[in-house]
Amino acid sequence: MKSEDVYLGELEQLLLLIVLRLGDDAYANPIGEDLRTSAGRRIARGALYTALERLEVKGCLRSMLGEPLPERGGRARRYFTVTPTGLRALRNSRRVLLGLWDGLESKLGTP
Amino acid sequence: MTRGSIAPPARAERLLERIVASSPYAEDIAGDLHESFNALAQRRSLTLARWWYRVQVFALVVRFMFRGRTRPRRKGQVMDRLLMEARFAVRSLLKRPGLTAAAAMTLALGLGANAAVFGIIGALVLHPYNMPAVERIVTVSETTPNKSDTRRETVSPANFLDWRRDLAGTVDHLTAMEWWDVNLVGRDEPERALGFRVSSGFFAAVGIEPVLGRGFRAEEESRGRDMVIVLSDGLWKRRFGADPAIVGKSVLANGAQRTVVGIMPPGFDFPQGSELWSPLSFDPSAAPIRSDRYLSVVGRLHEGKSFEDASAQMAVEAARLARDFPTDNKDRSARVYPISRGMGDDGTERVLVLWQAAALFVLLIACANIANLLLARGSERGREIAVRLALGSSRGRVVRESLVESVLLAVVAVPLSLGVSWLFLTVIRSSMPARVMRFVAGWNSMRVDAPLVATTVGLAVVASVVFGLLPALQISRNSVSDALKSDGRGGAGPGRHRLRRALVVAEIALVLPLLVAAILSVRSVTTLVTGWQGYDPEGVLMLKTALPEARYPDADSRRRFAADALERIGALPAVSTALVANVLPSSDAGSGRYIEIEGRPTVERLQRPLVSYRTVSDEYFSGLRLPIVSGRGVSRADQPSTLHVAVVSESMAKKFWPDGGAIGARLRVNDQPWMTIVGISGEVIHDWFEGRNAPTLYRPLAQAPPTDMMFAVRAKGDPTAIVQDVRRAIAQVDAAQPIFDVMPMRQAIRDRTIGLRFVAGVMGTFAALALVLAVLGLYAVMSYLVAQRVREIGVRIALGATTTDVTRLALGQAARLTAIGVGIGFVLAVALGRVMEAGLLGIVSTDFVTPVATALLLAVTTLASSYLPARRAAAVDPMVALRTE
Repeated sequence: MKSEDVYLGELEQLLLLIVLRLGDDAYANPIGEDLRTSAGRRIARGALYTALERLEVKGCLRSMLGEPLPERGGRARRYFTVTPTGLRALRNSRRVLLGLWDGLESKLGTP
Repeated sequence: MTRGSIAPPARAERLLERIVASSPYAEDIAGDLHESFNALAQRRSLTLARWWYRVQVFALVVRFMFRGRTRPRRKGQVMDRLLMEARFAVRSLLKRPGLTAAAAMTLALGLGANAAVFGIIGALVLHPYNMPAVERIVTVSETTPNKSDTRRETVSPANFLDWRRDLAGTVDHLTAMEWWDVNLVGRDEPERALGFRVSSGFFAAVGIEPVLGRGFRAEEESRGRDMVIVLSDGLWKRRFGADPAIVGKSVLANGAQRTVVGIMPPGFDFPQGSELWSPLSFDPSAAPIRSDRYLSVVGRLHEGKSFEDASAQMAVEAARLARDFPTDNKDRSARVYPISRGMGDDGTERVLVLWQAAALFVLLIACANIANLLLARGSERGREIAVRLALGSSRGRVVRESLVESVLLAVVAVPLSLGVSWLFLTVIRSSMPARVMRFVAGWNSMRVDAPLVATTVGLAVVASVVFGLLPALQISRNSVSDALKSDGRGGAGPGRHRLRRALVVAEIALVLPLLVAAILSVRSVTTLVTGWQGYDPEGVLMLKTALPEARYPDADSRRRFAADALERIGALPAVSTALVANVLPSSDAGSGRYIEIEGRPTVERLQRPLVSYRTVSDEYFSGLRLPIVSGRGVSRADQPSTLHVAVVSESMAKKFWPDGGAIGARLRVNDQPWMTIVGISGEVIHDWFEGRNAPTLYRPLAQAPPTDMMFAVRAKGDPTAIVQDVRRAIAQVDAAQPIFDVMPMRQAIRDRTIGLRFVAGVMGTFAALALVLAVLGLYAVMSYLVAQRVREIGVRIALGATTTDVTRLALGQAARLTAIGVGIGFVLAVALGRVMEAGLLGIVSTDFVTPVATALLLAVTTLASSYLPARRAAAVDPMVALRTE
């Protein structure tokens, strides 16, 4: 019920998908990297954290800290995973989009 | 730092950690960045990675500070709102980078000019001396009988000794100082050094003791025991190779052996660039003298005594002396000054006031310009603001936003302005010749320092409020409905145009006085340097000697020295004439005597008239090409045994013998034999304080040979080419006699006007700055006004107005503003001219031609600056203009 209320912006959808694809390796650096290479979106580092934080607040992402690493100056990585809420929100977005696409093939050309 | 553990720039990292502390991901942000930094450093280079890291941190800092996240814990709402407004203002300034840069640069120039003058004032007036507890050091000067005259006078030995006895306990270590020029011989070429003879309390009074050896003892104030000297660090290094063993040895100074007892620390050169000090001793015959005043007096306030205590006690003491010794002290008093005021001269302060006023004018013009720029932008945003007001935004908030913007502009402008002032101070400091600089206490300490920065920041805040408030109030006063109704041009009501025009008028009115002041000073300088001097300084070399009493004890020896030197110099092939005098025109020395005229009622010595006094060799008038108006000049035949004669200047003849009859009259100085006047000479400009009509008395050098002699040598060619020959010629007469201040007379004249040239230079710079700002301001406003009226102009053209009509319309508007501005400015200019006339000792003369000509010039310039916008108006295509609807 509640998950229906979660609305995802385009950037948020992209981020959730990337986190899913990255699997166990989903921390901020590769997320930003993928966003650039796969989606062609270059966003400021600060904006990335803001978006990730917002997704966590919305309950779409969950994060946990790994082991402290020397190449990070002794700091731990924060790994993100998509929560069930996030998955539901993603499916919902997909459904809405597909519904809207439906019947527009003649105008937009076949995808 | 080499293997594995590469760390990002530490300071940037700390900043980052501080700024992201509020984020739940604080740790990770720093960690991620660290990781990427590491990767980049390995893939590319460490340097690149470090810069990349800094850029990233900067971007994050900006983001977290301005775009911000809603932080849950905050102290108050006010900071929040201010931060938000600042963010808003940053964005709105960045949206118009050109305008922002123009406004910031304008403000920086205005502030920079002011900061530079603060710097000068700070160095010369506020802290010219660098001594411990300098605020407790005082100088004491006598005041003249003439009550209206507050000039500071030097002090007689007996008065000083009484003061020192009676003020003990209020002012400690009261010290008298007497100018003491020293010829140093031995070790090197003979050299002339500037020294002072000082009482034994001198070093305690200034609070600085020698770093090597000792100061003076009280018993060294008596004749015979006073043959000791203390050297400055500079002299010690230059002449004695910084040899510490020199302490205890004796050196030959002014023809006598004196023992070096101490070396002062580096940088100490009080007073007036002094390089050595010797005890001031009084002959038993000189000590009781109260009529000869030649001592400067300094002292240190006793612990717990205030400046007022000292002044009060000094007044009592002076009253007692006036009562007990009425002959010399009647109507005289004495005053105590803080040292920073006591040693400087009044002229400096007046010039600084003038500069400060000029700098403020520049700043005001800059403010007017910025206000105009902001106004223009305000009207572009008029509609946006009207909408916001209509939607319930408070006027206070709109005003505040505009103010925040101005303050931000000031924040950008302050560092720029400090750069401007640094440049300015550096140029000023380095353009002062060293030999003049040492007489100006504090000159070398001019710099951009903390008080200067603080004052600039303060002024920037005030200025930004001034130029920010005007447009802010204007914007908020907009009637909402009018703005929304009007055709999208943004509520450019008549009120705002009036304000804008008023600003332009103000700018023009401020520029004119500055221009006039600058032109007056520049003209005065050129006149003084290249204009009429009364004699011909071209091709003349001048140099000075000072004969020490020890080796030239009597008139005969001095007379012989002068004659021998002149003969040898005159014999040089490249020399056409050589002459000598106690004081040459344009030199930095002076000499005066009280005269007594035969047959006139005798008066007390100090009440007698004072005239400039010159003893000159026989080639003086012909050699300098100074005309003899009537009678004869000084001749070779005037010898001690013959009739004592004198030549007077025309101004002197006119002053004392207004009905003629100067020639043949007799006068005398200091109860010496009477002199008969045999000739009248033309006038010379000695220096720019006295101008051209200084009554002057000339007498033959042979009849009164001075100890200080200045030689003037007219060369057949370049005067600098004969320097070595002349030096050699004098060395042949006396190898131990130093000569100094060797320079072409032209150079001396330029040096003499250095102060005025500074006045002219600074005023000129300020005026140029102001003119450029004002012209730019007018141009911007005219362009804007034309742009605002495009539609109206289009209609006019469509209805048949010609190009000329439209140009005239636009120019007419500019002409009206110019006329009003010039009118007000003219009044200010004449007033400022008067102030300068009074303040600059009469060398700046105001006339009406200069202000009138300058006003015309300014009018033409401003009209020219609005010609372009006017042409643009005339080129309006009515179709395009009407379509902008």
